[in-house]
Amino acid sequence: MDEDKILIVMTSGPETPRRCSTPFFMAHIAAAMDYDVTMFFTIDGILLLKKGLADDLYSKEGGKPVGEYLQDAMDAGVQFKACTAATELHDLTPEDLIDGVEMVGGATLWQIADECNTKLSF
Amino acid sequence: MATINGCNLPEDLYYNIEKHTWAKPMEGNTVRIGMTTVAAKLSGGNLTGVTVSKRKIGKELKQGKSVAMVESSKFVGPVPAPVQGTLVRGNDKVAEDPSIAVSDPYGDGWIAEMEATDWETDKASLVTGAEGLETYKAKLEEEGISCD
Repeated sequence: MDEDKILIVMTSGPETPRRCSTPFFMAHIAAAMDYDVTMFFTIDGILLLKKGLADDLYSKEGGKPVGEYLQDAMDAGVQFKACTAATELHDLTPEDLIDGVEMVGGATLWQIADECNTKLSF
Repeated sequence: MATINGCNLPEDLYYNIEKHTWAKPMEGNTVRIGMTTVAAKLSGGNLTGVTVSKRKIGKELKQGKSVAMVESSKFVGPVPAPVQGTLVRGNDKVAEDPSIAVSDPYGDGWIAEMEATDWETDKASLVTGAEGLETYKAKLEEEGISCD
């Protein structure tokens, strides 16, 4: 287990927009602190990776769109992994998702979880 | 004390003009680190936290690695190590009251201290003196930053 590795499991999606910015913000801070951060998107979280969706989603009216928080996290080096089963749940294809996302199976979640000292779920 | 675009920037400090931080060689190999008045301006001036990475104290860090995080309601950013070396300590006063990093950035508001491995080599990547401040000024003007 590596004390510098963090896993964030993102299950919240566009039905609960208030829950959608903070996980990216926290991931961004952790990456800036030199933690190795992976976000794993499953259940409704996968929808945030659908091209364009997060750009028009707001946790707070008049605030920054979720898409900007997402991009900040990605730019800071956070790794994005998308659960294959969750794409099937929402009838998405890998082509529907934004660039920079790796498609992985459920077993990968357990491998990453095994390696990370800190695990969070939103 | 020199004033560039309304920002106080002492000539004797060594600056990372990308991250708006300063470094100052102290006794022995100790290097003190802080944020500039430019960083204070960009942060909006109302800091909510200056957090030195506790897990890194006592560890050897490469130049550019984050030693602390500065947060305000409109800004969050790392304070990178200006040199390679060991992170010795954070400033407890600033941890308790982050506003000191803005009100007295070159005095009591310093953020952390490192033991430099090779200050003479690493200082070449920082800017200092009248010439260094000219470089810093060009950067501020390019980005339209003013402390006024």
